[in-house]
Amino acid sequence: MSGPIVGEPEQTRERTVVTRLRVANALLRPVLSRVVSMVLTRADWPLDRMEEALLVCDALCAHAPACAPAELPTFSVQADEDQAELFVSDLGAGGAERLLADCTLPLVGNVLERLADSVGLESDGGEGPRLAVALKSASPS
Amino acid sequence: MTPDMELALPARAENIAIVRHALGAFAEAYAISESKLSDIRLAVTEACANVVVHAYPDGEEGEMEVLASMQDGELIVRVRDWGHGIRPRPDSPGLGLGLSLIAALAETVQLGQDEQEHTEVMMTFSLEDEPPSMNGAGS
Repeated sequence: MSGPIVGEPEQTRERTVVTRLRVANALLRPVLSRVVSMVLTRADWPLDRMEEALLVCDALCAHAPACAPAELPTFSVQADEDQAELFVSDLGAGGAERLLADCTLPLVGNVLERLADSVGLESDGGEGPRLAVALKSASPS
Repeated sequence: MTPDMELALPARAENIAIVRHALGAFAEAYAISESKLSDIRLAVTEACANVVVHAYPDGEEGEMEVLASMQDGELIVRVRDWGHGIRPRPDSPGLGLGLSLIAALAETVQLGQDEQEHTEVMMTFSLEDEPPSMNGAGS
């Protein structure tokens, strides 16, 4: 006879979504990193990959304010146990392209492209495209 | 006025933890004491729980929005939803203590609707004994 085992953990996990996060520039790094940590923890991400996701956040926090001179950039996050996506929008014309370019370190290259599984610009119906960064919970081979 | 922090999420119970963590980071940046932060977190948790339980009945999906601003030595937190507004609910699953608790913890509480007809709970927390702008955060 087969059936659910009492106390067995729920196998299906809903995708965790943060629809919109806008934070004053001075508060951006602490707030975004805490929110992303919480979202990935709930999605059962391994610690090493979570740290890499937080490095992505650090890079975005360091450069996004300068790429959105007119208003605060807007972040949104969604994650499940396999993949997380981080979007940065409201960057204005050319802002997303500049943000991607600014996340480059000498001798390292583009931090986003090194750490994430995919990085791209996509339209969100706003003035300019948004930057989309996707990471998988398993490290890229 | 642009809030210092604006956070929007689906109105689900598990998302209240994200709000609490975001407030924790916000408070750390402003060097708000742990005891004051506990009061703020508890009051905001109650306001968010009200959204989760009451704003979108019958399994309806909706969002909650939390806005925090530091202004003249006060932390102003607004918790908003797009639901059915504040009204008596005889079948309420709670003890009915949420708003009383918020009123006890915050300096002021205002219930109502904002200009876009969101249901809104606005809480003010005095930080007069807690100088802002200590950890590099501007006000």
